[in-house]
Amino acid sequence: MVLGIQIAGFLFGLFMIYYSFLNFKRKEFTVKEFSFWLFLWIIFIIITLFPFILDPIVKTFGFFRTLDLLIISGFLFLIAAIFYTYTITRKNQKQLETIVRAMAMKRNKGK
Amino acid sequence: MKISNVWAVIPAYNEENNIAKIIKKAKKYVDGIIVVDDGSKDKTKEAAEKVNAVVLKHIVNLGKGAALKTGCDYAVKNGAEFIIALDADAQHNPDYIPRFIEKLKKYHIVFSYRKASSKMPFVLRFGNWFISRIARFLYGISLNDTQCGFRAFSKEAYKKIRWNASDYSMESEMISKAGKQRLKYVQIPIQTIYSDKYKGTTIMDGIKIVLSMFWWKLFNNR
Repeated sequence: MVLGIQIAGFLFGLFMIYYSFLNFKRKEFTVKEFSFWLFLWIIFIIITLFPFILDPIVKTFGFFRTLDLLIISGFLFLIAAIFYTYTITRKNQKQLETIVRAMAMKRNKGK
Repeated sequence: MKISNVWAVIPAYNEENNIAKIIKKAKKYVDGIIVVDDGSKDKTKEAAEKVNAVVLKHIVNLGKGAALKTGCDYAVKNGAEFIIALDADAQHNPDYIPRFIEKLKKYHIVFSYRKASSKMPFVLRFGNWFISRIARFLYGISLNDTQCGFRAFSKEAYKKIRWNASDYSMESEMISKAGKQRLKYVQIPIQTIYSDKYKGTTIMDGIKIVLSMFWWKLFNNR
């Protein structure tokens, strides 16, 4: 029997494929990037529709349900993503500051 | 010690109405004035140039810490031996500059504190008191007012206290570095004028400053 959450997951996966395609169409994703994301979202849909394929992993790590594995993996992914975004933002902030300050000094020198 | 080549550095953001007044007053006491226009949307830069100040322009707003650092770096590069940092919002009266200069003969850094006044917002008074206690506990520096930006320091001291913060927490970072470097400091009282449009430290800034002070104690090694 297909559960409601599986339908929601399936629709979400489809939407994300469409969104990835839009990015590709706008030339914001290269073929490589689009292929990577397409592959990832297809895997996501397959796991949503056939969660039992994860049973070996669920048993190995001692989870009660596949959903528990997915939720914990999701949290870990989110923490990693936030950390990654934080480092990128800090790097950009520092670079921006360096550029703006250097420009301010240089412009005055030219006068 | 003979005090010469004193430069004033004024970070400014949307201060077209005050900047010229401050520059004219400060000019009497210093050898050079640098205004760092921190991405103002108004005519701050033009107003400062009109009264012959050196103006460095940030094309986007980076924050007070970044603006003051740009100005100080420029001043040091161009021969300043001593730096007076003051705000552009007319809170700091440049007539106090000679008192700062006098103290620089004996001390590396001169801090200032705003005299207790009923006009000072309560949140600001409490925040200041709290941050002062933290500064004393963490860095052994005893100051009445950790957030007053009217300060003076020598070129050598600047090299030791050069901050990383780009926002208002630079005032506290400067204190933490001065404490760690065991620089000789003194504080003098000043009278400030509070305008209705307060642009300084907010409650959120205060929380961030306190957290940062603990962070610097643990990880800021210079």
